[in-house]
Amino acid sequence: MDKQLDLLQGTLDMLILKAISLGPLHGYGILLRIQQISKDRLEIQQGSLYPALYRLEHQGWIASEWGESENKRKAKYYRLTAAGKRRLQAETENWNSMADVIAGILGTKPEEI
Amino acid sequence: MTFWRRLRSWSQATLHRSSLENDMDAELRFHVDAFAEDLVRSGMTRQEAMRRARLEFGGIERAKEECRDARGANLLGALAQDLRYGLRMLGKNPGSAAAVVLALALGIGLNTTVFSFVNALLLRPPTRVAAPDKLLQLWLRNRGTSGIEAYLPLTYPDYVYYRDHNQSFTGMLAFDGDPESVIWNRSGEGQVVEGQLVSGNFFSLLGVKASLGRTFLPEDDQPGNPQPVVVLGHSFWQQRLDSDSQIVGKSLLLNGTSFSVIGVAPVGFAGLLVGIEPDFWAPVTMAVQILHDSGRLTNRQGYWLFAVARLKPGVDALRAGSEMNLLALLIEQEHPDTNKNLGASLFPATLVPGPYRGYVSAFTGLLMAVFGLVLVIACVNAASLLLARATGRAREMAIRSALGAGRGRLIRQMLVESTLLSGLAGCLGLALAYWTAPLLLALKPASLPITLKVPLDWRVLLFTSFVSLLTGIVFGLAPALRSVRVQVAPILKDEAQSASYRKSRLRSSLVIGEIATCMVLLVGAALCVRSLLNANSIDPGFDTRHVAVATLDPGSVGYPEAKVRGFYEQLLRHISALPVVSSASFVNHLPLGTAREQSAVIEGDHSASGQNGLSVDVLRVAPGYFETMGISLLSGRDFIPRESQTPGGASGGVAIINDAMARKLWLDQYPVGRRITLGENTGLEIIGVVKTGKYRTLGEEPIPLVYLPWLAGRRTLVVRTSGDPRFLLDTIRREIQAVDASVAATDLETIEQYMALPLFPARTIGLLLGVSGFLALVLTGIGLFGVISYMVSQRTHEIGVRMALGASQQAVLKLVVGHGLRMASIGLALGLAATFGLTRFLSSFLYGIQPSDPATLLGVSVGLTLIASLACYIPARRAMSVDPMVALRYE
Repeated sequence: MDKQLDLLQGTLDMLILKAISLGPLHGYGILLRIQQISKDRLEIQQGSLYPALYRLEHQGWIASEWGESENKRKAKYYRLTAAGKRRLQAETENWNSMADVIAGILGTKPEEI
Repeated sequence: MTFWRRLRSWSQATLHRSSLENDMDAELRFHVDAFAEDLVRSGMTRQEAMRRARLEFGGIERAKEECRDARGANLLGALAQDLRYGLRMLGKNPGSAAAVVLALALGIGLNTTVFSFVNALLLRPPTRVAAPDKLLQLWLRNRGTSGIEAYLPLTYPDYVYYRDHNQSFTGMLAFDGDPESVIWNRSGEGQVVEGQLVSGNFFSLLGVKASLGRTFLPEDDQPGNPQPVVVLGHSFWQQRLDSDSQIVGKSLLLNGTSFSVIGVAPVGFAGLLVGIEPDFWAPVTMAVQILHDSGRLTNRQGYWLFAVARLKPGVDALRAGSEMNLLALLIEQEHPDTNKNLGASLFPATLVPGPYRGYVSAFTGLLMAVFGLVLVIACVNAASLLLARATGRAREMAIRSALGAGRGRLIRQMLVESTLLSGLAGCLGLALAYWTAPLLLALKPASLPITLKVPLDWRVLLFTSFVSLLTGIVFGLAPALRSVRVQVAPILKDEAQSASYRKSRLRSSLVIGEIATCMVLLVGAALCVRSLLNANSIDPGFDTRHVAVATLDPGSVGYPEAKVRGFYEQLLRHISALPVVSSASFVNHLPLGTAREQSAVIEGDHSASGQNGLSVDVLRVAPGYFETMGISLLSGRDFIPRESQTPGGASGGVAIINDAMARKLWLDQYPVGRRITLGENTGLEIIGVVKTGKYRTLGEEPIPLVYLPWLAGRRTLVVRTSGDPRFLLDTIRREIQAVDASVAATDLETIEQYMALPLFPARTIGLLLGVSGFLALVLTGIGLFGVISYMVSQRTHEIGVRMALGASQQAVLKLVVGHGLRMASIGLALGLAATFGLTRFLSSFLYGIQPSDPATLLGVSVGLTLIASLACYIPARRAMSVDPMVALRYE
């Protein structure tokens, strides 16, 4: 297994939005999906997941309803709202351009200046 | 959109707290269970799996708390908690909390009082009037002059023209801008009532319905056939007529004409002018009967009507204004002799007439500024006290922040405490304003016929709440920000003492600002008080002690001239016969009042018209006036009764002049026997010269004045007594009744009471500034005392060390007092600079003293220094008595 990375500050929200954008999930499911997509390379504090979910719901980017889990238990499912879709798109673009800039700076060689 | 969603989410979280809690429980339990199941599936025992799952999840309670925070569910709860905690902290230190609340309450209360006056004068629309925002006032504006002098009310012909020719208004009403004192003959006994003449559409255009009977109809107000009808004011009907429900149809004898009552105005309606509550309204076309002035309705140069018009729907004030200007030009073409250069101006119809609003706002603005400064000082005191407490509570803050309280939470806690204080102060201040507003009204001289209502309505409440909240935030913010900048570790390790010097620097600068502000206020107060003393000691040119005065107008009852003359002769005989009366006489109006007659004088007996004469004031007096008023005759003689007959021919009259005029015309030559021409009176012989007095205002330069011996129907009786004139008033009233019961005096008072009017502005300003200066002084003293005491308590250790090393008590005294005086002198220097800039605004209220009067500035500086020294000395004494051993062992 590769070494696990600590989550960059402020990126958890983005990952949650992305995870849910693929289909409604309950909290534990979101955790599993992020780990699965990242191939277990990201370390997520389980305790910090729920405050983030509540915050996103409060801001209106995700919505929740109670449903039934795979093993027939009551679970709270989260899905993306329209505002959340726009938010995810905006954040993705923002992140990509940021990453480009940072990568550009870090990749600069002395002779290029 | 998201705002509403958040609000919904927040209110659900707050209101449905238990369902939120259940959901949260279920959700987190599901997570842990699901995680554990996965672990079991990978081969762990159930027990071990559950333990791992809980462990990896972390603090469940903490996660829940953060979830609640995210939903804002904690907001109200935390606020309540802060409030409870704040109250507990106040209760812990009730003395200082009470001091802060009291000081702030004074500041807020005084500001509320002034604002309630601003509200009553400038903000409140006329009561009982429908849609007052659609009403506009029309004023004539003389294009030739500027300032307030340029604005004139309307004449009756002007009003009729504007009313009948405009397209912008649904109607235009007019009313008498200067209500008339009318004698009401109440079954043989004359009583003075105030009446206002109004146009027939007055009530209907304002949308005011009678509470009894009806209001005027346009038919009541026909110029050819006016109806002698009146509408009564509600309080007059209630108080003077005992709420007689059968009043409609009865008649009142007013100024000799019988008026029938057609209705009673609704309660609270007092017309459109501030300070005036007419006892009755009569149609404006009854002016002839009420005023006994037959030319009032045709005169094109008597400006007496205030016109108010209601805008048609869809017309704005701008369009109406340009139409009025057009009409003004048309009138000017038609009557170039009288209406030359007279334009028209529209103002919003407020209780203070448009052109005067500037003066009222300047006056109240000055008061607001002064009391604002007092509030600032109170704020600084409160801030300084809270700062001290914040330092004392550094440990508490450090502990709270170590336990996980965020910066925001700590600031909120401090602000909740400070607004709690200011909120309490606001409530107290409101109560204070409730008591002081009537007190301020009582300052008004009795002869000013003004009834002002100063209600504490929603505007005042809003103002007070806003000021209180702002105050709380302003004085709470600095201590709050300071308290969260604590460094947790050193404080918890008890190393707090070392940082104290930097902390007290903010407090020192606060106190310096406080001293500077106090200096400005005190100089203002001292200037006004000294000017008041000056004004009281200004010689108005007549005796202000032993005279009683009464204004009479038997002509208003409808008496012919001969009967008026007979009445006055008989009255004078009666009064002069009284044992305590040494002399009595008449004057057409008293000097220093509101009435004034002016004319132009040319030397010699030729009536060379077109020649520019010397502008003089004119007073008309009966024989004995100078003796009665104590005005000394410098040369020549007084008038004799024969000369008081109305001048028969164009020449042969006599006049007495004052010293100022004699000097202006003839320098040092002897004036008696020379002749002057005064307006239409040619060849008046000067028979005497009297000492110059004050005629318009107490602060004026000497004004040339001519006394003439001819009097008309309206006169003021002046009576000189050897004793206290107050005991004479009832006698005079009785004598007037005895001579003619249907005549009543409108202003019966002692000359001292009369002098309250010209002294009113100086007295009011002097008193208010005196009070605020005193408050500022006390507050500043307390503030300085607080800072120095705090400094001493912080430096007890250091002082102990100094004393242990051999410092004398004097050295310690010097150290402490020196620190205080250093702050005081910086404050004084700043205050002095500000004083030079600010007291200029006072100069128009000051008599015989310059705003930069050096003695005042010096006196205030010395006095403030003394107070500062005292405020420092008391804590310094405590510092001197520090026992080095105790101080050192304390560490």
